[in-house]
Amino acid sequence: MYALVDAVSFYASAEKVFDPSIRNKPVVVLTNNDGCICAVCPIARRLGIPKFKPYFQIKYFLEKHGVVVRSSNYELYADLSERMMNVIARYCDNQYIYSIDESFLEFKNYGNLIGDWHKYGHEIRKAIWKETRLPVGVGFGTTPTLAKAANHAAKKLTGFNGVAVIDSNQTSRPILKRMSVTDVWGIGNRLGKKLNLLGINTADQLMQQSAKEMRRQFSVVVERTVNELNGITCLSWDEVRAPKQEIFSTRSFGQRITDHQALMFALVTHGSIVGRKLRQQHSLVKRLMIFASSSPHENQYYKKSIVYEFPVATDSSSQIASAISIVLQDIFQIGVYFYRCGVGAISLESQQYQQPDFFTPSQPSPLIMNCFDKINQRYGQGAVTLASEGRAEKWQMRRSLLSPQYTSRWRDIPKISC
Amino acid sequence: MKVIPIFAEAGISGFESPAAEYKELGLSLDQLLIKHPNATFIGQANGDSMQGVGIFNGDLLIVDRSLTAKNGDIIVANYNGCFVCKLIDKTHALLLSASSKHPPVHIKPEDEFQLEGVVTRSIRLHQKSPEILLCTL
Repeated sequence: MYALVDAVSFYASAEKVFDPSIRNKPVVVLTNNDGCICAVCPIARRLGIPKFKPYFQIKYFLEKHGVVVRSSNYELYADLSERMMNVIARYCDNQYIYSIDESFLEFKNYGNLIGDWHKYGHEIRKAIWKETRLPVGVGFGTTPTLAKAANHAAKKLTGFNGVAVIDSNQTSRPILKRMSVTDVWGIGNRLGKKLNLLGINTADQLMQQSAKEMRRQFSVVVERTVNELNGITCLSWDEVRAPKQEIFSTRSFGQRITDHQALMFALVTHGSIVGRKLRQQHSLVKRLMIFASSSPHENQYYKKSIVYEFPVATDSSSQIASAISIVLQDIFQIGVYFYRCGVGAISLESQQYQQPDFFTPSQPSPLIMNCFDKINQRYGQGAVTLASEGRAEKWQMRRSLLSPQYTSRWRDIPKISC
Repeated sequence: MKVIPIFAEAGISGFESPAAEYKELGLSLDQLLIKHPNATFIGQANGDSMQGVGIFNGDLLIVDRSLTAKNGDIIVANYNGCFVCKLIDKTHALLLSASSKHPPVHIKPEDEFQLEGVVTRSIRLHQKSPEILLCTL
């Protein structure tokens, strides 16, 4: 048996944990730079607020309905996610954290230890709510894809109170019949449209297809999905757990940038983020893409991207910064109003299998970057930076509606009236 | 690169510290004060109604959400959209203060009320702490 536990509109729910004054109010959370709505709490959903709508287009509507609007508070979400995952981990010896708010559990060799999956699901929900004040849905299924489907039912379909169990054909069909084919894990919108042309509109119809035929017409991924819907497990943790093949950090600026130094600061900051992510997953970068552009909505659109290849793959932020300063003279152009820039590690190597040779120039000590990361973890990102990241605020993320960092900064801890 | 570190030894290298084998982990206040880290948060007391149980304005409160409040426990609740710290009287649905200046508060059906956790510890800072000074009460 597999389970998928995930939070109900996690970002919006996280905003309510330490702010009881908005518990019963509609809450939405905005993406980076306060651009779009990325999370809508169930109360706000009843007002018919769509996800991924640009904020400025809907601002008046939100004000009129007294909707609480917040910027993304990643520091808070990361802490609450960790707490939630730790509580979930108590319920199974094999947990796979799939994303910030989703966690798979695999119950292997449990025999009849758990008699009633419904009851177990409600126990998990209750514990997470009590200890973290986050609402979750729990879906059980005989394969990961069916667990995902059960989770969909638990949260989105009527008649399920946050828990759904698929343990046989009898329990799966009624749920799959009520799910559109694009609600199935791994079936995106584009694939969904093609399936619709074949008359496959519901998850149940997809389940009834011949797996081999689906492989012939589409891909091995769809074949596996059909098998999984039929209760044949095809996915394993290791496949989904593979480290990322590319790491990007990119963002548009709050204001346009026209000077060389400000663009340098912004690019190096992105480079520094890429470096940190590389070190986290124990990868090294061989090829780095560095790019900057003006806004595509303006006249004389300018875009330049350069790929820099390191003689020896690295994970050092300072080496990434040197690479950026080398290519910057080719990217920067006087008179261009830069709107967007970014850095991407496009060809990665594993740190574990590096084989330097005698002629390899010596690498900076990993101890320095290790210490750098530890200081920033302890005192908050940006506590120490490379000098070439500068202190410019212009390009930094706009988060004008940010809530306090209740659990990670002393000055932000919740106030309790006595 | 995987390197297996092996310390080279050449002859007599002095005595090992006689205390080495008695070394244990140092004392940790977190371990003493926080029993359920995933369910615990730290808040700051604001007001003087709990002085009778030794909670003063500006003290730190350690709140454990995993515990079930017993009658008479010091608790934190969401009372009409505000975190409050009081003594709970479950039988009479009362929020009691630990001060004669503050009368008991009766929880009425129309009130918004949720138990948020049990205050297991409170911490007094007898000298100013720069981190906590940043809190604006």
